[in-house]
Amino acid sequence: MTRLAGTVSLLALVAALGAGTALADTKDKKIALSNNYAGNSWRQAMLRSWDKVTKPAVEAGIVAAADPFTTAENQVTEQAAQIQNLVLQGYNAIVLNAASPDALNGAVKEACDAGVTVVSFDGIVTEPCAWRIAVDFKQMGKDEVLYLKDKIPAGGNVLEIRGLAGVFVDDEISKGIHEGVAENPQFKIVGSVHGDWDQAKAQAAVAGILPSLPDDIVAVVTQGGDGYGAAQAFKAAGRKMPTIIMGNRQDELAWWKEQKDANGYETMSVSIAPGVSTLAFWVAQQILDGKEVPKDLVVPFLRIDQGTLEKSLETTEKGGVANVEYSAEDAQKVVDAAKK
Amino acid sequence: MTGPSPFIRLEDVRKSFGAVRALQGVDLSCSAGECIGLVGHNGAGKSTLMNLLAGVFGAEGRMAIDGEDVGGRHTVASAQAQGIRCVFQELSLCPNLTVAENARVMHRALKGFGWRKRAGALITAKLDQVFPGHGIGASDIVGDLPIARRQMVEIARAFTVTDAPARLVILDEPTSSLDAHQASQLLAYVRRFVAEGGAVVLISHLLGEILAAADRVVVMKDGRVVAERPASEFTRSSLVAAMGTVAREEAEERAAVTGRRGGDAPTRVRARAAAGGVDLIAHRGEIVGLAGLGGQGQSEMLIRIFDAARRTVPGITVEGGSALVAGDRQTDGVFPLWSIAENITITSLNRLKRGILIDSGKTDAMAEDWKARIGIRTPDIHNPILSLSGGNQQKALFARALGSTAETVLMDDPMRGVDIGTKQEVYGMIRAEAERGRTFLWYTTEMDELKHCDHVYVFRDQRIVADLSRAELTEERVLHASFEEVA
Amino acid sequence: MRLTARQLRTLLPALSLVVLLAAIFYLQPRAMSYVGFNLMLNLAIPIALATVAQMCVITVNDLDLSIGTYVGFVACVGATLLSGGMGALPVVKELQASGALPATLPWIMQTPLVGVVALVFGIAVYAALGALIHWRNLPSIVVTLGMSFVWLGLSVLILPVPGGQAPAFLRSLMTLKPAYIPFPIIAAIVIAILANLLLMHTSYGAVLRGAGGNPKAIERAGWSLLKVKMTMFALAGFFGMLAGLSLVGLTTSGDANIALRYTLLSIAGVILGGGEFVGGRISPVGAVIGAVTLTLAGSFLSFMRISPDWQIGAQGAILIIVLAARTLIDRAERRR
Repeated sequence: MTRLAGTVSLLALVAALGAGTALADTKDKKIALSNNYAGNSWRQAMLRSWDKVTKPAVEAGIVAAADPFTTAENQVTEQAAQIQNLVLQGYNAIVLNAASPDALNGAVKEACDAGVTVVSFDGIVTEPCAWRIAVDFKQMGKDEVLYLKDKIPAGGNVLEIRGLAGVFVDDEISKGIHEGVAENPQFKIVGSVHGDWDQAKAQAAVAGILPSLPDDIVAVVTQGGDGYGAAQAFKAAGRKMPTIIMGNRQDELAWWKEQKDANGYETMSVSIAPGVSTLAFWVAQQILDGKEVPKDLVVPFLRIDQGTLEKSLETTEKGGVANVEYSAEDAQKVVDAAKK
Repeated sequence: MTGPSPFIRLEDVRKSFGAVRALQGVDLSCSAGECIGLVGHNGAGKSTLMNLLAGVFGAEGRMAIDGEDVGGRHTVASAQAQGIRCVFQELSLCPNLTVAENARVMHRALKGFGWRKRAGALITAKLDQVFPGHGIGASDIVGDLPIARRQMVEIARAFTVTDAPARLVILDEPTSSLDAHQASQLLAYVRRFVAEGGAVVLISHLLGEILAAADRVVVMKDGRVVAERPASEFTRSSLVAAMGTVAREEAEERAAVTGRRGGDAPTRVRARAAAGGVDLIAHRGEIVGLAGLGGQGQSEMLIRIFDAARRTVPGITVEGGSALVAGDRQTDGVFPLWSIAENITITSLNRLKRGILIDSGKTDAMAEDWKARIGIRTPDIHNPILSLSGGNQQKALFARALGSTAETVLMDDPMRGVDIGTKQEVYGMIRAEAERGRTFLWYTTEMDELKHCDHVYVFRDQRIVADLSRAELTEERVLHASFEEVA
Repeated sequence: MRLTARQLRTLLPALSLVVLLAAIFYLQPRAMSYVGFNLMLNLAIPIALATVAQMCVITVNDLDLSIGTYVGFVACVGATLLSGGMGALPVVKELQASGALPATLPWIMQTPLVGVVALVFGIAVYAALGALIHWRNLPSIVVTLGMSFVWLGLSVLILPVPGGQAPAFLRSLMTLKPAYIPFPIIAAIVIAILANLLLMHTSYGAVLRGAGGNPKAIERAGWSLLKVKMTMFALAGFFGMLAGLSLVGLTTSGDANIALRYTLLSIAGVILGGGEFVGGRISPVGAVIGAVTLTLAGSFLSFMRISPDWQIGAQGAILIIVLAARTLIDRAERRR
C-alpha cells in the first residue's frame, strides 16, 4: 500500500510547481472537470480541492485551463450532453465523476473517439477507453484488521459496525474486514450491527447489541462516520473503551484527540479524501504529457495515525471530513504502483 | 296528411332530462321536398327535437325513417348514413383544422391518397353553390376565419354529398351570424335544395325568414307542438300569438298588480348596453328583469356591470358594490371540492379575518346563519358542497352573494335546473332583500320569473329594445319586442 | 411579400433555432463541423422522439407526466431483455451464479423476443391509459403522474443497478456516420417528416387533431372519441419507445433514472415548437425543431460558460423569450 498519509498540501504544491518546467509539454492543454453533483459536504470539499490545486497549476503554465463543470440536476443524459459539449469546446482531457457507471459510456466513447482523454474517479465509468481511479474499499477493510494485528498481537473479540445495508460500498468494506479476520484467526468478530455511516444511528445500534456481547471487546472496526457514536455507546454502558477505528470525520478526530490527551488512547483513522479529484487531475495531466498510465488505478486512502492526528484535526473544519490535495508526485506514485 | 310517405315520422315522442321534461309527446313528420319552419321560445324543446333526429340521444316514443321503425337503433352514425345532417347552433367545426379537413371529419369516404384535394374541392364547390363570392379557401384554418365565414363553412358542409346522401338538413339558427345578404343566399339555396327533393328543418327566431323559406310552420311550446299549419296561413303576429297563447290571460289578471318603480330612490346602477339603445337604470330596492331571447347580450351586460363595480368601465356606473350569482353552477359558481361553509363565505372573507388568518368561528357563524335564513338542507355546513342537491347548491350561491356587503346583486339565469319548491323559497328571499334596500338585476329566460320584477328590459342584438313596467308586462309584449325585426 | 402573422408564428421555432445556431457558431466555430453536429445533436434524437410522443398526448388536450420514466423503462428493457432475453436480467444472472438455474439457459430464456413483447406491452398500457382517461373522465395529469412511478418501479425491477448492454443493432444504428450529413440531422428530419405525415397528412390524422379542437364535433360526426384517445396514447407509447431505444443505443447501457428530465423537456419542446396545451393546435415539425433547440440551448449555455446553477434558469429564459415572441405575434394578429 502506498502511504500518502499526512502529505501536506502546500508542500505538494511547491513540489508540483517545481516540477512545472519539466512538464512544459502540457502547457497548451485544457482539462475539464465534469461533475454530476455538488450537493453534499464531500463533493463541496472535492470542488474546493480542485480549485486549490488547479488554479496555481494554470497560473504556473502547467496546463492552459482546468475548469470545473457541474450538472445542475444530477441526471445521466444531462451529463452525457455536458461531456459532448466539453469535447466541442476543445478540452484535451475530461476528468469525470460520473452519475452512472454504464449509462455515460456512449458519451465517453464519443469523447475518446474525438481524441479526448477521459479520466474517471470516485464515480467511475466502465467504458474501456477511459481511465479509472477506483476506490479499493475491500482493501480499506482489510487494512483496518492489519492495523489491529500490529497493535494487539494477542488478538481478541471484535465488534463490526457496518454501513447502509444493501449498498455496494458496505459490502466491499465488510468483505475486506472478514477476509482480514480470516487471515488473522486470533481476532473473532462477535457482533455486527448497521450504523448507516451515521454517528447517532451507530450509537443506538451499538448500545442495543452491547449487553449481549462478552466483556472483553478489544476493538471496533468501522466504515466511517460511526466511530464517535460507538465510543459514546461504550462510555454510556460503562465498558472498557476498545480500540475504535475512526473514519476521518471531524467529530471522530476531536474525540480521539480528547482521549489521547487524557489517557494516551491509540487508534487510527482511514477514509477517502475528497481531494482525490486533484489526483485525477494530475493523472490526466500525465497522460496528456505522453506518460504511459495503466487504465485502472487505485485511490490511496487518507490515513491518520497517532502522530498526524493534531495536524489533521487542525485543517479539518467542524462537521467536515479530513482532506488532502495530491501532487504530481503522488500521482506518479499511484501510477507506478499500478504498473507493478 | 296525405301524399308520399314521409321521410321521417315521430309519434308521441317524450324526453326528460332529470326533472325537466323537454319533450312531452311530440308528433312530427317530414317529407322529401319540403321545408319545415320550427319556432318557439327558448326552452320550448326545439334543440332537443333536433338532437333526437340527429341521433345524439334516444327518447321514448316511435320514430320511423322511410316508414321503418328505428326505435332505439338510431345513432349518430346511422342518422348520417340515412342522410340526416345538422347544423348546430353552437358551431361544431374543429377550429384547429382547415376547411377541407373539417369536411373530411364529416365524410368517412374522404380517405386514401389525395383525400385533402378531394375534400377541398368538395367543400369549395358547395360553398360556391350556396354562398357565391364567399372568399373562403379550402386550406384556411377555421379558427382564423371570422364567425360569419365559419358559419358558412358549417352550413355548406352539411349540404355536401359523398357516398352518404344529404336528404334532411336541420339548420338551427343558421343565420345568427350571417349578414342579410348571406342570409338571403342561404334561404335561396334552401328553396333550391327543397325543389330538388331534399328536406330541410329550419329553426330560427327571425320570423321573416321562417315565413319566407318554409312550406309548413311548426310552433313548439313547453315541449309540445302547439300549432302546425302551412306557412301561408301564418302572419308574423299570428305566429307570435301562437307562441305565447297561454300567457295572455294570466298577464291580464296580473296587470292589476302595480310594480313599484324607483322614482326618487337613489340610483344604484346606470348602464348603457354594448350596442347602445335605452340605458339600464336600477334604483335602490328594485328588482329589475333582463328579458329577451337567450344570448342577446344579457349575460354580457351583467358581467360588465360586475366589472364596473371594481374598475372603470365606460358607460356604466355602479354604487355600493355588486355580487354575481352565476347560472352555470358547475363552471362559474361552486368550488366543487370545498365545503358548503367555505363556498358561502368565500366572498366575505375580508370581514371574517383575525389578523391575517381566517377566523373559523366567524365563518362558521356566518355559514350557520345563512343556512338557517335560506334553508339549506344539510345536516352539517362542513359537508362538501356537492353533497347538496342542485337547488340547494344554488341556495348556497345565493347565500354567498346576499351575505356579501354588495348593494346590488346580479343574477345570471340562476334558477336553471332548480326545482319549483326551491324556486318559491328563493323568490321570497329576493323580495325580502329588496324590501331591505338591495337592488337585483335578474336575467331570466322564464316568463314566470319576470313577473317578480318591478320592471323589465328586453334585449335584442346586444341592445335594450323595450322597458316594460310590471303593469305592461305580458309574454306577448316580451315576445314582440324580442322578435321585432329591423325592416 | 409581407409575411402574415400565422406564417410568422409557424416560422418562429425555425427562426429561434437559426438564431441559436448562429450564436453557437460564433462562440465556438469548432461546432460548425461534422463532428460538432454529431456531438451537439445526437442526444437530441431521443428528446425529439419523446417530444413527438408528448405532442400526441397534448393533441387530445392531455398531458403525459410519465414519458420520462417510460423512456427509462424502455431503455432498461432495451439494455436487457432486448439484447439477451431473460438471461440478461440481473436477477436471472444471480440465480445462475447461485446455481438455482443452469449455466446454459433454454431458448425461451435467451430469445430477445421477450424484449419485443415487453415493448409491445408498454404501448398497450399506453393505449389502455387513453381508454381509462376517456372512460372515467380522469385528469390525465394525475393518471400519468401515477404511472410515472409504475414505470420507474418496473425499470428498477428489470435493472436494479445501472448496467446492461444495448443490442448491437441499436448501437450501430445510433453511431452511424453517413457521408456528408451527420446522422442526428438525418434522423431529426426523418422523425419530423414521419410525424408530420402521420398527423398532418393522413385522413384519420385530421380526425385525431379535430378531437383536440372540438371533441363534441368529432363525436357528432360519428367518430369514437375512445378510439381517438387510445390511438393517440398508443402513438405516444410508440414514439416513447423509439425514444428509449435510441437513447439506449447512444448510452450503450440502461439506467432507470436515465430520462427523468425528458418529461419536462418534451413538454417544453412541444410548446417551443408552436404547439398549444389545448385545442389540438400542434406542429410535428415544430416539435422536433423545439426539441433540437432545447438541446442546443444546453450547449449554447455551456459554451457561454454560464454556471450550471444558472443554466436551468437560463434555459427557462430562452423558453420565455420565444413564447413572449409568439404572444406578441398573436396579439399583432388579433389587432389586425
